[in-house]
Amino acid sequence: MTPTLSHRLDAVARNVVPAALGVFFVLISSIPFYIPGFGPVAPNFVLMAVFFWAVHRIDLFTSVTVFFIGLLLDILVGAPPGINAAVLVLVRTIAASQGKVFRGKSFLVLWWGFGLVALASGLIIWILTAIYHLTLINPLPIIFQMTMTVAAFPFLAWIFARTHQKLFLHV
Amino acid sequence: MRLAAPAKVLLQRFAFLFLILAAFGIMLLSKSETIVVEKVSTVVVDVFAPIMDVLSRPAAAANDAVKTVRGLADLRDENIRLARENERLLVWQEAARRLASQNQALQSLLDFKPSPNSQSIATRVIADSGGAFVRSIVVNAGDRDGVRKGQAAVSGAGLAGRVTTAGYRSARILLITDINSRVPVLIESSRDRAILSGDNSGMPRLTFLPANASIKAGDRVITSGHGGVFPPGLQIGQVVPSGDGVMRVKPNVSFDQLEFVRLVDFAAVSPIVPQGEPAVPPKNAASR
Repeated sequence: MTPTLSHRLDAVARNVVPAALGVFFVLISSIPFYIPGFGPVAPNFVLMAVFFWAVHRIDLFTSVTVFFIGLLLDILVGAPPGINAAVLVLVRTIAASQGKVFRGKSFLVLWWGFGLVALASGLIIWILTAIYHLTLINPLPIIFQMTMTVAAFPFLAWIFARTHQKLFLHV
Repeated sequence: MRLAAPAKVLLQRFAFLFLILAAFGIMLLSKSETIVVEKVSTVVVDVFAPIMDVLSRPAAAANDAVKTVRGLADLRDENIRLARENERLLVWQEAARRLASQNQALQSLLDFKPSPNSQSIATRVIADSGGAFVRSIVVNAGDRDGVRKGQAAVSGAGLAGRVTTAGYRSARILLITDINSRVPVLIESSRDRAILSGDNSGMPRLTFLPANASIKAGDRVITSGHGGVFPPGLQIGQVVPSGDGVMRVKPNVSFDQLEFVRLVDFAAVSPIVPQGEPAVPPKNAASR
């Protein structure tokens, strides 16, 4: 019953998809879209990716992977390095510990959970950024950004769910 | 395998704590060891620059297409507007020619040495800040193209920012709207000096204005050239009073549509660097 090489390669390829999607969304987050006012409030795609995969396939999204994805995001968008890394590692751990609550339930439960996580992430990012710059920062952009993120979650979750089904459930 | 399970849980807990601490460590490090962190970030951005360059092209192409379609819709109005503007500009051109020849004549009278022409590099924007609290962009030119830290980034309408780090093939530009940006400026009409301080909003604030400054809405704001980072006289924007008594500036550059920027090497014309022989003191001063 030893799997053939092509089988094993196939499995490896499937297993790197979640992490690769994470990196892809980091790049998507950093390129310009030329939509007036969009840049500062663009949804946090990476947060959605980390949350979704931490709930469904925590084994394919290790904390080290998440840490480096967050760090890459910080570096590419020019944020204080470490902020997104810390927040995403935290989100992964929370989502993973609550995974049982979300798996197999209706999508609304997952969405509700993501809303809470986004709220907490926004608050932490705001506090950390303010401490980093040692000045009070207008929280309005992060409130808008997190609202957009929660609003966009169903679309991305649908894409992720399809990917999840195609890659891991019908094998 | 069963024996290893508790150890695995312990390891995961440890990894979580370790990674959180590492993230905070990096944050602190970037505050104290700015240069090291900057160097690492620059290398990372450099590595990803070609990918971002490719990824950003469809968005840019779509933007251009939208602009073209919009342009087609109001082609007639635009044509009339341009014809009027052309008439007005022809008058200005005449004035500019007259002043240029007059200027040349006066310069030759004074034996004036013109400052060398500044060099500029045209670059494409390949990343803008997706963060809620950052206003910076990455362009697809770096050290190999002559980009240096401190160069002014200019778009057609005026000053956009300055180069903060230059990698081999990419460079990061801090926009004048970022919370870390401070630009010494001059109110064009009143010649009052001030500092243009970004606060992550679309309109940076004018700080350190003299108490008796007489500025009003619509006054044009230009770089003063103090501090030697920016050349004097670059257009920035117009004064807009905001509700809380703070004077703000509406930048000429539309940061949402920033697709190309020009990086101007001002170090070559910096007044700090002495150029040519020192000025000769007036003769009567020497004889005194």
